[in-house]
Amino acid sequence: MMEILANFWAEFGVFAYPALFNIYFTVTALPAGFVLALLVAFGKNSRNPVVSKLCAGCIYAFRGSPLFIQLFMFYSIMLALNPVWWRPMGISWLMMHPLFIGPLVVVLNTTAYTAEIFYGALRTVPRGELEAARAYGMSSWQVFRTVTWPNTIRIAWPAYTNEVVFVFHCTALIYFTLPVIGDQKDIMSKARELFERDYNAVLHFSMAALWFLAISLVIFFVFGRIYERLMRHTSLETAKPKLRFGPKYLR
Amino acid sequence: MDATWLAQWVGEDIAFWLAYLTNGKHLQWYASFRFTIFAAVFGALLALGFGLLGAVLKSSRFAPLRLIGDAYTAMVRGIPDVLFFLFFPLAFEQSVEWVWSLHVCTPESIAASQAPWPPCREANWLLSTNEYLILACFSLGIVYGAFTANVIHGAMRAVPKGQLEAARAYGMSNLQVLLRIQVRQMWVYALPGISNVWMLLIKATSLLSLLQISDIVWWAGQLGAPNFLPQAGLVHGDWRWTYYIALFVFYILVTLISERVFRRLTVWARRGMPVEG
Repeated sequence: MMEILANFWAEFGVFAYPALFNIYFTVTALPAGFVLALLVAFGKNSRNPVVSKLCAGCIYAFRGSPLFIQLFMFYSIMLALNPVWWRPMGISWLMMHPLFIGPLVVVLNTTAYTAEIFYGALRTVPRGELEAARAYGMSSWQVFRTVTWPNTIRIAWPAYTNEVVFVFHCTALIYFTLPVIGDQKDIMSKARELFERDYNAVLHFSMAALWFLAISLVIFFVFGRIYERLMRHTSLETAKPKLRFGPKYLR
Repeated sequence: MDATWLAQWVGEDIAFWLAYLTNGKHLQWYASFRFTIFAAVFGALLALGFGLLGAVLKSSRFAPLRLIGDAYTAMVRGIPDVLFFLFFPLAFEQSVEWVWSLHVCTPESIAASQAPWPPCREANWLLSTNEYLILACFSLGIVYGAFTANVIHGAMRAVPKGQLEAARAYGMSNLQVLLRIQVRQMWVYALPGISNVWMLLIKATSLLSLLQISDIVWWAGQLGAPNFLPQAGLVHGDWRWTYYIALFVFYILVTLISERVFRRLTVWARRGMPVEG
């Protein structure tokens, strides 16, 4: 029994360094995805039909196809562009690096999903509040800052939390498609490597699962705290909507 | 076969590309779509089965069963689907090999075996593509069954209480109320969620190549890779991007068609129901 526990503990430490790669992909992709998503959501909501159709089409394409294919697609496009663009420009070391392509594709993917969340939230901003703000003579930037944005982020936050966890999970796919350089392995490829060494599927994969589960719980906890802060103006505990573990299941 | 008439009819270039796109390897690529379609259809059916089971467990009045249902749906929530997708077939294979090894392995054969697994050479089980495909369907079923369970659990609670009470007042037993009223009425409420799960599931069918199945993604990589023949030199360079873009478009089209079908289905399921709003 003690031996099993000791084994488990040793195994637990093995995944600490690979977990950093999953966290790296998530952390680098999220801020860019967040900002781009806001722009795309406003684009889809815009009254200009060309802008609106274009943004809606981009969202549809990236939500309608698997990330696995998107990773393959962008990696092969980068490979094809390597001799014509990147190598002459001398930036091939950056453009062909998995630590660059990985976040790039994840950004495009998460932008589409997040934009759809923001778009849905934008459309539920109370019309009366917007009209009141305009009646006060606010400029459109002031209306955005004081009415649209606070409403949007509050409505979108639970779904966005969900999306962040999905992004963290989908980083597990990156090293199935991109080349592994040296010991730059994420949790999944580390688990596969260990499995191929001693065929102990249960130990390695359940430990990898445990790491994913633990980090997902941390994400839920942190984002739940932020949500509580966003909703601090709402009345006492009774009315306060709580962000539970897995409020929504669907992306 | 002489196809000069075709070349005269459509022109040399188009005839060349038609010939290229229907050569043996391409036909194999088109044939490999069957794996994806099979995985999507049977994965979805299994997901529906697991989903119903999970939903019944989640709403069970017996606490341990409820706990199992909740643990099942929560676990899938915190763990990436690709991990389940790899783990379930491997774990299943190994457990079968372990059970089998209890019967066929002798102490001598265990001592003779060098590899860490299986215990002895006789217990080795080499899976064929079809067996991997069935296991892949099961792992898709397990993962997306958890998502479906949540959808169905919510939908069952959305069935108006009055209808259930009316059924009970007619003297139906609990099981009859569940099967005749609740399960039949809940589909309308479950359809939007089920449509979402289906979209996730078809996207997950792109992962089949991870289980050594020569599916559409694997063939796209093979066909597009730089083709060098010693007799002919470089036939074509790296064309992988074209093939992956074709797959990208394929999945978008599948999503588009699924959306249409589900819209029709929703209209059909809602017939005779009062329009909201």
